Amino acid sequence: MSWPTVAITLRQRVPATLSASIGMIAVMLAVGALFPAVGHTIGKLHVPASVSNLLGGADYGTITGWFRSEIAVIYGPLVIGALAITGAVAATAGEEEDRILALILAHPILRSRLIAAKAAAIACVVGTIAFAIWIGLIVGVAIGGGGITLAHMTALAIQLAFFGSATGAVALAIAASTGRKSLATGVAAAVAILGWLINSLAPLVSAIGWLKYLAPYYYYAGHDPLAHGLDIPGLIVLGALTLMLTAGAMISIQDRDLRA
Amino acid sequence: MSAQPAIATSGLSKDYGSGRGVFELDLEVERGEVFGFLGPNGAGKSTTMRLLLDLIKPTSGSARVLGLDVSTSSIEIRRRVGFLPGDLAMYPKLTGRVVLDYLAHLRGGVDARVRDSLAERFDTDLDRPIRQLSTGNRQKLGLIQAFMHEPDLLILDEPIAGLDPLVQQSFHALLREVSAQGRTVFLSSHTLSEVERVTHRVAILRKGRLVVVDSLENLRKVAIQRLEIEFSAPVDGEQFRALPGVRDVKAEGHTVTIGFEGSADAVVKAVAAHEVLAIRPREDDLEEIFLRYYQAGGTP
Repeated sequence: MSWPTVAITLRQRVPATLSASIGMIAVMLAVGALFPAVGHTIGKLHVPASVSNLLGGADYGTITGWFRSEIAVIYGPLVIGALAITGAVAATAGEEEDRILALILAHPILRSRLIAAKAAAIACVVGTIAFAIWIGLIVGVAIGGGGITLAHMTALAIQLAFFGSATGAVALAIAASTGRKSLATGVAAAVAILGWLINSLAPLVSAIGWLKYLAPYYYYAGHDPLAHGLDIPGLIVLGALTLMLTAGAMISIQDRDLRA
Repeated sequence: MSAQPAIATSGLSKDYGSGRGVFELDLEVERGEVFGFLGPNGAGKSTTMRLLLDLIKPTSGSARVLGLDVSTSSIEIRRRVGFLPGDLAMYPKLTGRVVLDYLAHLRGGVDARVRDSLAERFDTDLDRPIRQLSTGNRQKLGLIQAFMHEPDLLILDEPIAGLDPLVQQSFHALLREVSAQGRTVFLSSHTLSEVERVTHRVAILRKGRLVVVDSLENLRKVAIQRLEIEFSAPVDGEQFRALPGVRDVKAEGHTVTIGFEGSADAVVKAVAAHEVLAIRPREDDLEEIFLRYYQAGGTP
């Protein structure tokens, strides 16, 4: 592991990570504060099942449903996925397209070690945002009157951290193997968004039901961590996927030409 | 000098298709040499340097740097080589000091005093974000990182680009010191005039193929020098055409451009008969140099 590379990669991600973390905490405090006034009034939305699924059940009458729909289903994975993807792509294909990588790799460092260091830095970014989400949840739920156990809030933050790491690893693998920033960003974002769509619609369309097992999103949210706590098999799948994709990134960059 | 050349390539090729790349490159650079690698833009100079550092893989052929095979010992090679890329880029939001510290950590064993003395020598501000630096100041940072670990071999791609004349002088002095220490410099340029003060031998690359490797002295013999002379009044250029060594003359108003080979003595003396406002050397034309080199019977 090249610790100087971890440090310099983190240094460049600090502004985005801090602002996203502070923003997430602020949003969750606001969401918590709104629940007593708005949540009970809205109650459970009576909308088509497809829409309800996309909104995580659309049950705004309970604090668990409120935070699931407001944070767990879209906003949390969106923010952590976006930070993981942009961080992973910027640190690899971004540096390659910007011609920085050619200078770095003219130094005595194995490409695989460099990629491992970049992956570790992105894991730190993801961990920081997940920690901020955890803090925001605890305070937000308390402001909202309580009703979600600490274990379940912790479960959501951990599932999110694993989801973010896997999403970042998808971006890292494509960026390292191709050196193409837009391709890596596009594919990783598509995997995350399609995963959300498929996971939401699969219960309604039996023909695509099996597809949800291919999406990292299912292993994050399929078990509903806010209601049921940690999903260990889901974490194992996400962890294994992250490790395999990171290993793939380390191998695939080793013997290819740098693009710039 | 060691028995092993600093750089030795054998049939080294990188084919990008459509005639782009480097083809069948056989080149030897001896240790302690300052070797100029010339060619017009797109000739394959940067591609060759990237092949030597294993940043790209050859289509065929092989290369050895400091006696080590490029494909199997690239880490050891990169430990002992300092590289300045032609299109240098660094982290724009970070300061030069932070980036140099990072690169020094990647290398290990960099003496901070050497880095600081280079920064002082090039009068470099290390504490401003790189995005705020001019092209020349960024280039100085690139030179510092290439020299700071006192490498056995320096591979410098267009090192003079963007440097002001004073810094160019410092850079040339540094090259002479490096050469005197027995270390090797392999530097590229697209003009002969940029490297003629410091190089021992020169190779010229054209469309990816090596066409000339010779001493600077021999190349100078066939190179046409051009002077652009600005007079205080219009002068008939024809009077210079018959001078010894003059190959071409072009007059436009008060300005006459004279191309000649060999000594400049006759030209300077003839020009001095008029009131001269300015004399400016014109860049050499590489295409012309190697065409004339062949006409003179040189052996690439």
